[in-house]
Amino acid sequence: MTTSLKTRMLEAFRRRMFFFLVCVATAFAILVLQIINLQLIHGREYKIKAAINMENNIPIPAARGEIYDRDFKKGISGTVLVSNRPSFNLTLVPKNFESEAQMRDVLARLAPIAEFDLETTIAEIKKSNPWERFVLKEDVAFDVVVKIASHKKFFPNIRWEDAPVRIYNYSDIFAHVIGYIGSMTKEEYNSLKEQGYKYYQVVGKTGIEKNYDKILRGEDGYIRRVVDVNNRTEGEEIGKYPIAGNNLVLTIDYEVQAAAYDALAGSTGSVIAIKPATGEIIAMVSRPGFDPNQIISKENSGIIRELLNSPEKPFLNRSIQSRYPPASTFKLVTAIAALETEKSYPDKTFYCPGKYTLKGYVDRDFYCFRAHGTLDLYRAIAESCSVYFYNLGMIVGPTMIMKYASYMGLDEPTKIDLPGELTGFVPSQRWKLKTFGQPWFDGDTVNLSIGQGFTVVTPIGLANMMCGIVNNGIVYKPYLVKEIYSPDNKTVLGKTEKEKLREIPLSPVTLNTLKQGMRYSVQNGTSALLGRLKVPAAGKTGTAQTKSNRKENVSQHAWFLGYAPFGGDVDSAVVVCVLIEYGQWGSSAAVPVAERVFSKLVELGYFATGDTTTQIK
Amino acid sequence: MLNDIFSRWDRPLVIATFLAVVLGILMIYSAGFDPVEQINKGFYKKQIVWFIIGIVFMVVMSVINYRHLGDYALQIYGIILFIVLLTTIFARPIRGTSAWINFGFFSIQPSEFMKLSVVILLAKYLELRERDIRNFRELIIPALIVMVPVLIILKQPDFGTAAIFIPVMFTMLFVGGADISHLVATILIAFIALFFPMLYTYWEWAGYKGSSIILQMFTHLDVLFTISAILLFIAISTFVAHFFWNQKVLRKIYIPATVISLGLMLSVVIHKWFKEYQKKRILVFLNPELDPHGSGYNIIQAKIAIGSGGFFGKGFLKGTQTQLGFLPEKTSDFIFPVISEELGFLGAMVAIALLGIILYRGIQIALSTRDKFAALLATGITAILFFHILINIGMTIGIMPVTGLPLCFFSYGGSNLFMSMIGIGILNNISMNRSYY
Repeated sequence: MTTSLKTRMLEAFRRRMFFFLVCVATAFAILVLQIINLQLIHGREYKIKAAINMENNIPIPAARGEIYDRDFKKGISGTVLVSNRPSFNLTLVPKNFESEAQMRDVLARLAPIAEFDLETTIAEIKKSNPWERFVLKEDVAFDVVVKIASHKKFFPNIRWEDAPVRIYNYSDIFAHVIGYIGSMTKEEYNSLKEQGYKYYQVVGKTGIEKNYDKILRGEDGYIRRVVDVNNRTEGEEIGKYPIAGNNLVLTIDYEVQAAAYDALAGSTGSVIAIKPATGEIIAMVSRPGFDPNQIISKENSGIIRELLNSPEKPFLNRSIQSRYPPASTFKLVTAIAALETEKSYPDKTFYCPGKYTLKGYVDRDFYCFRAHGTLDLYRAIAESCSVYFYNLGMIVGPTMIMKYASYMGLDEPTKIDLPGELTGFVPSQRWKLKTFGQPWFDGDTVNLSIGQGFTVVTPIGLANMMCGIVNNGIVYKPYLVKEIYSPDNKTVLGKTEKEKLREIPLSPVTLNTLKQGMRYSVQNGTSALLGRLKVPAAGKTGTAQTKSNRKENVSQHAWFLGYAPFGGDVDSAVVVCVLIEYGQWGSSAAVPVAERVFSKLVELGYFATGDTTTQIK
Repeated sequence: MLNDIFSRWDRPLVIATFLAVVLGILMIYSAGFDPVEQINKGFYKKQIVWFIIGIVFMVVMSVINYRHLGDYALQIYGIILFIVLLTTIFARPIRGTSAWINFGFFSIQPSEFMKLSVVILLAKYLELRERDIRNFRELIIPALIVMVPVLIILKQPDFGTAAIFIPVMFTMLFVGGADISHLVATILIAFIALFFPMLYTYWEWAGYKGSSIILQMFTHLDVLFTISAILLFIAISTFVAHFFWNQKVLRKIYIPATVISLGLMLSVVIHKWFKEYQKKRILVFLNPELDPHGSGYNIIQAKIAIGSGGFFGKGFLKGTQTQLGFLPEKTSDFIFPVISEELGFLGAMVAIALLGIILYRGIQIALSTRDKFAALLATGITAILFFHILINIGMTIGIMPVTGLPLCFFSYGGSNLFMSMIGIGILNNISMNRSYY
């Protein structure tokens, strides 16, 4: 071997070793760069990820606000309509147990105490994610928890969590107004998650519970748990205390509400009592009802399905979510239109032979329910004479009647603080042409003037119209929540102020005529039953013809729309609106219900009387 | 003689080694500490014992002249290969791998020592064939020396340990003077052989419908086989032509043609013989994200541990990823994330620096000795350590495939520590004797 070869080979060796050194150095540089990237550049993100890894927080549910009736006053217990019952959920994390046998052991001891089926529960646990908390049993009583807590060593890894249960103390009486709570649907969650709602939380589904959900719900707290990879607790502390929801005081008077609900027993319909001076709703009931306690209970699916499939639609709050022809109550609108446009006057008389013949290509007869003879507007309202209003309607014309119906707000929402309000409908000539391809006929005008035909209203819309008449043209927004109280009821956090919805410039003559006519109706007309009351009442009945023949022989809805006291202080006045589906006659079906509501109002001292000993509410 | 050792030992190498192992023991202590029960699982105590024994091995290897290793290279290789073979056949599997000989209170992994014995034998062979190594035929023996233990270890199966031999072999052949084109050709063949079956399996798995007809064509076995046969024919004819008409340009045809042809042929073989789950395992090895619940999960947790350590770390015994068990295999394969989480960027850089010093000394020693065997031996040992470090740390920071390779000096485990410290002992020995040869 020549030296030159040896040297060449040594040089080659050194070159290649140097290349190896460069490779090692490059590799180390890449390692260091990636470590810098992880620790220094993205360190903050990985710190958050590490924190998420080890934190598994348990929510502490906030106590949902209670709901009281209008008599609730600071410090004095009123009627509690909705409250919460303490209750607990038993939970476990399957992976916390050393073995499945140990878990089975513990559960076997627990099953008889907490009353659950061992085998079904174990089967369900096996289907669940073993690292996640599994709810073993909901709504466990306090004494069960005490038993478990005092024998903790027999029940390792069993946890209990606060899970208060909502109680609707008067079940179906307030079902429609207050509503109920429930787990969020996917759609609800998607729309609410932006506002901080969590998927496991409950939310108000209908009624006050829904509309005032943000006030009632409070803020959940949580227990911050540091967990290891097996979800075993390494330490825990209260991360955030729950903030209880605020309490609500309703404008509703429990006694009136109960009386109204009672009075409706056996029928399908709605009763609304409202103070025109403010818009406060004293009572609002709907029949048939349901028990919200059943809806929120765990075994509810059967009940809900049954209720949903019921032809009587018990979930419907008929006071705001159902529309009916206003029938004779609409005669008030025709009268207003006639008087305000000065096309007629109160003393104007018409002769009622029991029918009205509309002249035309073919003569058509429109009937009155009896022959009233000659009468003026007062008597026509009192007797609910249709022929009088046929004549009046033809004089005034459809356009003006429709216009005044709109003025009175019949086709506008009342903006009541409840979700899902429907709006009434007042037709127009254009609408008819568009919908039916026909022009407006005189026959339509005849029907319009007595509230038959195309016009439909909601009970709350009609009641609101009456408020406008009683309150001399000023209509306030109806509302159900009077005050918001702090969770301990020591502070008033909010008070609903009356809010003017519209002001209808009605002339005193018009107002007087309507009120007098309705008063006659009570004294000697279709609402005569109310004459017995200890308060001067006034009102208008209505009998709406419908096309349905659901109940044999009875295909008419019965209305009563009235107020008391007649001629008294407007501030103390209460408007009552009664609707009974298929109630046949307004005077025979709806008026007795109104009578019972008014009696209760009198009994409770709602109306100012001569002696001031009776408290005005 | 001992006095001799202590006066001439390679101080940076040995001190860096000691510091690395001590740091490792501290982190094993931390990783083994159970904060709930306030007890330690005691891995660190065993590691201290391994360390002491390791020091003895290191001293012994520093004393015995390394040239004796060369003299007995074949015997050492044969004995260890035999033990590895026996282990593979008879050992009771631990976590599915028959790699350990159980002595009751401890167990030994002979395949760790296989790494050293392969390096010793390769070094000896390359020294003997120094002048002929540029000949392609001379590479067959080194390939056999490496592939026999690799195949046995694959059978255990221990993919990581088997895989480490390949880059070590290439490094030694490269430094030992092999023709670069031979090495490149071999790597190319292996790449082509693996590429097409893997691509096909990946598409199948990911449900990818390739739009490129040409790429799809390559996933058909007959197409691959036909192309391979045509190329082989071209290669053979040009090779024969080469005899009659000696033109350099012909070499440029038949060599690439042979390489591609062999690669494609092998890819057909792999496609036919490998079972679907085996191919999937290789894919997951290459890309852990394909299996987010398996090895992918470990990498995610390791990256969180390292990243969340930040600059100063969370403090000794205070790493949440480590202490709460989110980090898997935290005493062995994932010890680096423990260092990075608890001691932060500073700790990680200290560990990297210590390892860097060791590797740098290794290369320096290889360069400074005038003995070819010693240079190759030092290179081989350095390569073993380097590829362990690269693959292990690279895996934990998510830039290398997931393999069960420990981090030398730091990870818990006697066998790897013994192997590493014996290696350091040999390096020290070469360093002390470099002026004699």
